[in-house]
Order: sequence, then structure tokens, then C-alpha cells
Amino acid sequence: MYSLNARLLISVSVLLLLFFGATIVVLDTAFRTAGEQAREDILDGHLMSLLAAAEVSDDGVLTLRRDLPEPRFSTLASGLYAAIRDDDNRVIYQSRSSLGMSIPEGTRGAPGREAFERLWLEDGTPLLSLTLAVQWEIAEGELRPFVFSVAENLDSFNAQIAGFRGQLFGWFAAVAAIMLVSISLLLRGLLRPLRQIETEIAEIEEGRRSSLSPELPNELAGVAGNLNLLIDSERARSERYRNTLGNLAHSLKTPLAAMRSLTNESGSQAETRLNEQIDRMDEIVRYQLRKPASSAAGNLLLAPVDLAAETGRLVDGLRKVYRDKAPGIEVSVDPGAAFRGDTGDFLEMAGNLLDNACKWCRGKVRLSVKPAGSGGMILSVADDGPGVLPEAREALLERGMRLDETTPGDGIGLAIVKDIAESYGGHLAIQESDLGGAQFTITVPPQRSKT
Amino acid sequence: MRMLIVEDDQTLRETLAKKLKAEGFAVEEAADGREGKYYALEYPIDLAIIDLGLPEVSGIEIIREARAAGKTFPILILTARDRWQDKVDGLSAGADDYVVKPFHFEEINARLSALVRRTGGWASSVLSAGPVTLDMSRQELKVNDEGVELTSFEYKIIEYLMVRAGDVISKTELTERLYDQDFERDSNVIEVFIGRLRKKLDPDNSLKPIETLRGRGYRFALERNQAA
Repeated sequence: MYSLNARLLISVSVLLLLFFGATIVVLDTAFRTAGEQAREDILDGHLMSLLAAAEVSDDGVLTLRRDLPEPRFSTLASGLYAAIRDDDNRVIYQSRSSLGMSIPEGTRGAPGREAFERLWLEDGTPLLSLTLAVQWEIAEGELRPFVFSVAENLDSFNAQIAGFRGQLFGWFAAVAAIMLVSISLLLRGLLRPLRQIETEIAEIEEGRRSSLSPELPNELAGVAGNLNLLIDSERARSERYRNTLGNLAHSLKTPLAAMRSLTNESGSQAETRLNEQIDRMDEIVRYQLRKPASSAAGNLLLAPVDLAAETGRLVDGLRKVYRDKAPGIEVSVDPGAAFRGDTGDFLEMAGNLLDNACKWCRGKVRLSVKPAGSGGMILSVADDGPGVLPEAREALLERGMRLDETTPGDGIGLAIVKDIAESYGGHLAIQESDLGGAQFTITVPPQRSKT
Repeated sequence: MRMLIVEDDQTLRETLAKKLKAEGFAVEEAADGREGKYYALEYPIDLAIIDLGLPEVSGIEIIREARAAGKTFPILILTARDRWQDKVDGLSAGADDYVVKPFHFEEINARLSALVRRTGGWASSVLSAGPVTLDMSRQELKVNDEGVELTSFEYKIIEYLMVRAGDVISKTELTERLYDQDFERDSNVIEVFIGRLRKKLDPDNSLKPIETLRGRGYRFALERNQAA
């Protein structure tokens, strides 16, 4: 099981992460490069001023004519350092700011070529250092090499970069969060019609609605329309199926009734034999054409049966039929019980059992409908009649399954009840009733859609 | 008793009508729902057998309309669709009992006589009032435990009067209910038969079971022995 919502949010999050990640890397690199460039330019300026202040006497001794213009060279540990070395790497000059420190010697490149590099003080402080080797002409044709170097502490620069990064991450995280929230809100809105369909299908299953409402976006209207068509055609199909069977039964049984009416009960042997054949045909028609109206899968489209109302109608009807015997029929229908299916199937099961009970009872019948777990139905009908012997129970349920072995009028009703119960995934059981007679119990488990 | 049969199968309808006439019913036959509805609403019917699967107007609809029009005569439904749903629908619409096709005639007959006596408020098929006992299933009349020989027409009259013991039944009603439609109505046959019945039931004129109310009709006057 997955949800479109979660899928979309995950994809969007991954995309945002990739996109923002790349942006952060690009921005960070650009900022750092620009910053370093600026630092190098400044350092280059310092090197130029160092060069300008340097003076070499004719005998090749280098001195600084004046103090360097940048006051940070004169402040101890200011972070900006300068040093001049001779050919043998001895330090000829070092700025006051670097007193007591050993400024690392940069790589000496070809004369006249500036070399930027990162170096570290002994205590690990990072430096950006610029080194320039110079051939100083003291006299005609006589050159003296010197190495000028300036270096700047990178701590502040690094702090600046870190600050920038912090801000960058902060802003992007905020933007990403806002985007995710607004996308999920948007999705909720966009997916509302889907959720509506889901709710409506649940309502159809619970029988509180007969079709999907037409107020849906264009993209979904087609799907909803087709679903409605499917529901209607399934309902029509099961209705048609029942009608066809009903009509077939009618058109077969009326001639049988006519044939029966033409024979005399106490007639000749031939008439008796004819009557037996009519009975057999009747049983076959009854059994074969009383197949359950719908399959369990189709039942999801059917509304739940109003158990209290239908039971009431049935009991009222049977009270009329058994007016002379007038059995006391005790009825209890638990409102938690549910039977989602064909009303006719329910009436067929309850009717057959209740009719049997009224027929066999001495005066008391009890019908109860209880829920089986959450939903579902346990229908039990008990009477105070002669009951069914334990060893005969199995046989009673099996009877009617094989018509050629059946005595007319026996057990067909029960076989039909059993068939219907089983088509709903339920079963029929016979027990002894506390009223003294038999108790028939149909258990139909709750039916759920697989959502 | 005037009986209405609504059944679209001709063979079944005709043989049923013939057998019921032999049992002493006056029978009206209707071959479709519309005709059946007309008879049920417009004729003085005492009892109806209605098939549920009818052309034009369904059996259920006839029953519903008859009941809505205030008709209280008992209705027996015939059904080939022996689904409980159809039975329950018929019974809730106002029918009193059902018989599933194909049926044995004896079954129909037994159900009908049960329905007939129920209209008079009798719970058993043996009607007993004072020393008079009428066994409807055997069509036997006894006075003080002695059998009384009756012709079928005499039986029909005493049955009709006894089922509705205590009610005043007009001569017209008796004529209408006991004869077929085309019978000559103006004859004095009823008076003659009532006279004969009085002689047979009450030879020494001490019981006076059948009372004549001048200008109104007849009444079976003996007190019922069993609670309704």
C-alpha cells in the first residue's frame, strides 16, 4: 500500500535536496573564490608597498627606507606579516608584527613571479602567503637576489566563509521547509477529489449512498462515471439474474401446477406415478433455481439489509400463516449485526428456518440476530419441538444436495439455506436449543472491501 | 361463498374453478391482473386466490389496492416463485396465506376453509355453538352429537351463517354469495332452504338456531362455545 501524497512529497523532497545542494555548492565556491581573489589583491598591494619601501645600498645591504604604510605591520601579532630573505634564506627583515614568530618560508618561484599559497604558523594558524623572488640590480650588471614575502592570517576569512555558509544553509533550509509545506497543502487540495471518491465508495459499500456524486474535476469525472456504470450494471445484472430465474421457475411451475390439478390424488396407479414425477420435477426446479442471487464479491456493491425491518416483515407474515397454531415467536435483532447482501437471500435463509421452526414447535420459537465479531451476522432460530437427533444432523444438512436420493419435500429448504450461507462465506449449524427442540444457526462473517 | 380466482394459466384456472365449485363455492374467474383487480374491487367477494405472477397488474398490486380500498376478505396467494421474498411481500401487502405451485388441491382446500372460518373469528375448523357442531374439514353437521344429513346447498347456507354466527346476513347477500353470477335471483329458494334447515336442525322447535329479522335477513342465533 502506498499513497500518492507520500510518493509526491518524497520525490519533491529528494528533488529539492539535489537542487538546493547543487546551488549551495556553487554559491559557496563562488563566494570563496571571490573572497580569496580579494585577499590576494590586498596582499599584492602590501607586497608592492614592501618593495617600494626597500632600498639596497651599493654593497648589497637591504634596508627599509621608511616604515610600511600599513599600521598592522607594526602591531604585534596583528595577523599581517612581512619578511624579506636573502639568497641563503636568512631573514634580513621581518615586520614588527611578526616579532618572535617564525613566518614560514614560501615556495620560491622564478624571479618576478608571484606565488600564492597556504601555509601554517607553528601553532597551526592558517596563512595566505605571497612570495616574490626579486633580482635586485645593485650596480651595472650585478644582481642580488632577495625573497619578499607577505602573509595574512586566514582566521577571519575562514570565519567569514563559515558565517556565509551558515546563512546560506539557514535560508535554504527555511525556503525548502516553506516549499514542502506549501506543496503538501497544495497536494491535499489537489487530492481532495480522490479522497472524496474513496469516502463515497466506502459509503456505497455501507449502503448509505447508491452512486458516486457527479461534482468531480474533469480528470476524475470519467473514472467516477465508469464506476457508476459498473455499479449500476452489476446491480442490474444481479437483478436480471434473479428475475430470469424467477420467470423460469414461474413458467415451469405453473404448467406443473396445471398438470397436478388435472390428476386426482386418490386416482389410478398411473395418476399416482404421474404425481410422483411432478413432485420430483418440482423439487429439481425449486432447488436448481434457488441458487444464491449473487456472489460474495458482488455483495460489496449491495446495501446492507435492514435486518430489523425485514425480520419484522417475515415474522408478521408467518404469524398470519400460523394464526391457528399461534406460536409465541420471540424476536431479538441486535443493531450491531449486519448482513451486506441481497435482501431476498436473507429472507430465504430466515424464512426457511423460521417456517420450519413454526411447523415443528409446540408453542415457542425464538429468532435472534447478533453480530459476528464486528459486523457480520449470527442468525439463530430455536424451537421447542422434537429437535434433531445428533446423528441425523449431518445427514439433514447433506440432504437435498443429491436430488435423486431425496424424498420430496424434505430438506430442500435447508439445502438452499446452507447454499446461500456458504455463498456469503458463512455456514449453517444444527444444535440443541435450550427451549428443548432444535436450534439452527447461520453464521455469516463480516464482509469488507480490501482497502 | 363467493370466491375469486385470479390466475393466468387457463388450464390451472379452469380446473381449480371446477373443483372449487364442486366444493360449494361460487367462483369468479379472472385471467389477468386488470380483470382480477376489477373483480376484487367491484364484486362482493368473500375469498380470493391470487397468483403473484400475472400479466398487466401484478398480484401484489391487486392485494394492495384491495386492502387500500378497505376490502377485508381473506386472500390466499399462489406463487411459483417460491422465494421467501415474494411470500413476505405478498403477506405484507395484505395476503393471509400462501400456497406454492405446484400444489395439491387438498392443500388449497384446507387453507381456504381455515381462512373462511378465521373471517368469522373461529380458531378451529370445528365450529361449535350450543348443541350444534359443524366440522368444516369433513363437512359434517351434528346436533347433540347426532349427525344431520344435509344437501350441499343446505350445507353451504348453514356454513355461511355459522361462520359468521351472531352477524345479520341479508337475503340478497346470501343469494349473491351462494349462487353463481347467472343464477336467477328473485326466487324464494333461500326461504325454502332456511325452512328446511330449521326442520332438520331443530325438529321440535326448541333451539331456534336461525333467527329471521324481518326486512333485514337471517342470523345464526346460538351462542358460540369457544372463544374467538
